[in-house]
Amino acid sequence: MSECDLMRESMPLLLTESLDPAQRELTHQHIESCAACGDEWLGFRETWTFLGSLPEVEPRAELRTRFLASIGENVTPFAPAKSRRYMRWLAQAAAVVIIAGSSYFAGHYRAPIRIEPTPASVSRYSIAESRVLPAAAVSPDIEGRPNIENVSFIDANPDDPDIGLSFDVTSHVTVTGRPTDKSMVRLLRYVLENENKVSPSRSRAIDWVRTMYSKPGNTDPEIAEALANVLRNDSHEGVRIKAVETLNRMPGSDSADTRQALMQALKSDPNPAVRIKAVEALVNLARSGVPFDAATLDTLRQKAVQGNENVYVRVKAAEALSSIHP
Amino acid sequence: MKHLSDQELMRIVQAGDFSPASEIYDRYSSRIYNFAYRFLKNSEAAEDATQEVFVKMLKHANQFHGDAKLSTWLFSITANWCRDYLRKADNRSKESDDVLVTLPAPAEHSPERTLEQRENERRIQKALSALTPEQREAILLSRYQGLSYAEIAQISGCSEGAVKTRVFRAMETLKKALGGEASGGERCLNAI
Repeated sequence: MSECDLMRESMPLLLTESLDPAQRELTHQHIESCAACGDEWLGFRETWTFLGSLPEVEPRAELRTRFLASIGENVTPFAPAKSRRYMRWLAQAAAVVIIAGSSYFAGHYRAPIRIEPTPASVSRYSIAESRVLPAAAVSPDIEGRPNIENVSFIDANPDDPDIGLSFDVTSHVTVTGRPTDKSMVRLLRYVLENENKVSPSRSRAIDWVRTMYSKPGNTDPEIAEALANVLRNDSHEGVRIKAVETLNRMPGSDSADTRQALMQALKSDPNPAVRIKAVEALVNLARSGVPFDAATLDTLRQKAVQGNENVYVRVKAAEALSSIHP
Repeated sequence: MKHLSDQELMRIVQAGDFSPASEIYDRYSSRIYNFAYRFLKNSEAAEDATQEVFVKMLKHANQFHGDAKLSTWLFSITANWCRDYLRKADNRSKESDDVLVTLPAPAEHSPERTLEQRENERRIQKALSALTPEQREAILLSRYQGLSYAEIAQISGCSEGAVKTRVFRAMETLKKALGGEASGGERCLNAI
């Protein structure tokens, strides 16, 4: 490695003022005497400064509430360290007994091992109980509002039309079936619409829904309704954006309910990015043969000239009007 | 609680009393969230990460050694979470451009200034996304969290030398990607 290479590798440390004084002096001397490294240093310093223009983003206040609420629900005080040490001692003692017992057994036992049948009256439980249920065996009506966690989506074999939805309720459950099975649709709807009852990720659920329900023959009006409800009600703007993007692209999302949700988002969603996406989706609806009605046109006109509206939303609304009525 | 040090708060948690949880959250949630958000480029995943990190902090408080810095330990948990997240194939495609989502639209700025800020953020975020996850982790911890290479090495599970190389390579890539702004960009620098 040349001297220049060594000096250049130290430049980020120079930026953070983490070099010791002697090295710092040496690096500065080299930079002053070497034009190429001088240019490199200038570029590093400008890039470093420019990176600093990235603003800090604040987590939402709801996140704090959510975390504090989880204490006691999902997080309980553990046994203090003293008793844990005691448990470790106990485990070590048990291990010694098992090893000693096994050695004796290995040395003295000669008879073949037989497994006695378990009496029928004794129930067997598995600590890793996991149930796989066909969608046909699950009622499409979800009773109560269960908390379901660790939701994951399964489509292991693209040639097999069946899909699966896996989650934890009181045990781990996987429901499999066709995307069009009512129970499957209702489960997905539940996952999408119940922000506070389902974890972890609605946006992952939306991605999956977009993939599955964009395939020919899989469209279902209930899925579009669920996405419209996400757009109306979800507290997270990232999720609302995903919902509106999916409504924009998914076949069968051209109902009056979808249009109403898009209109409502355009009128009153607090996030400008959601409002912009709503305009795009409305334009797409119009292009696909669902023309703007009078109310949509009014809202777009109003948005295009509304002084206190975000400038990008105003431009988008004006573009939408001219693209439909040039 | 505010007058207690991180170590003192953690000793209370280690004794099974979770009352310092909100104080620790207030001290570190913003940094954890920002790191996760810039690493994953996804605000919802960053929220999940933040929640998980603080839950794990309580659940595994006994694994925290008093001689370590709490921030280093929390960033270790966060970085692990983020790496796991990216490792899952289905999440790679989920790294989304939701920059507009979290950017506030400061009312006091002119539309031109706001536009310029948004554009700067978009470019930086795009340049950061082009880095390898290891490089991104190193540069985020160094540039935005002000951690030393020794701390980053502890978080990333590698040597200080490896951190030095990662930061250098990251800076080289960023310099090229942001070249228009950084070297030719008097305008941008003046705007900062």
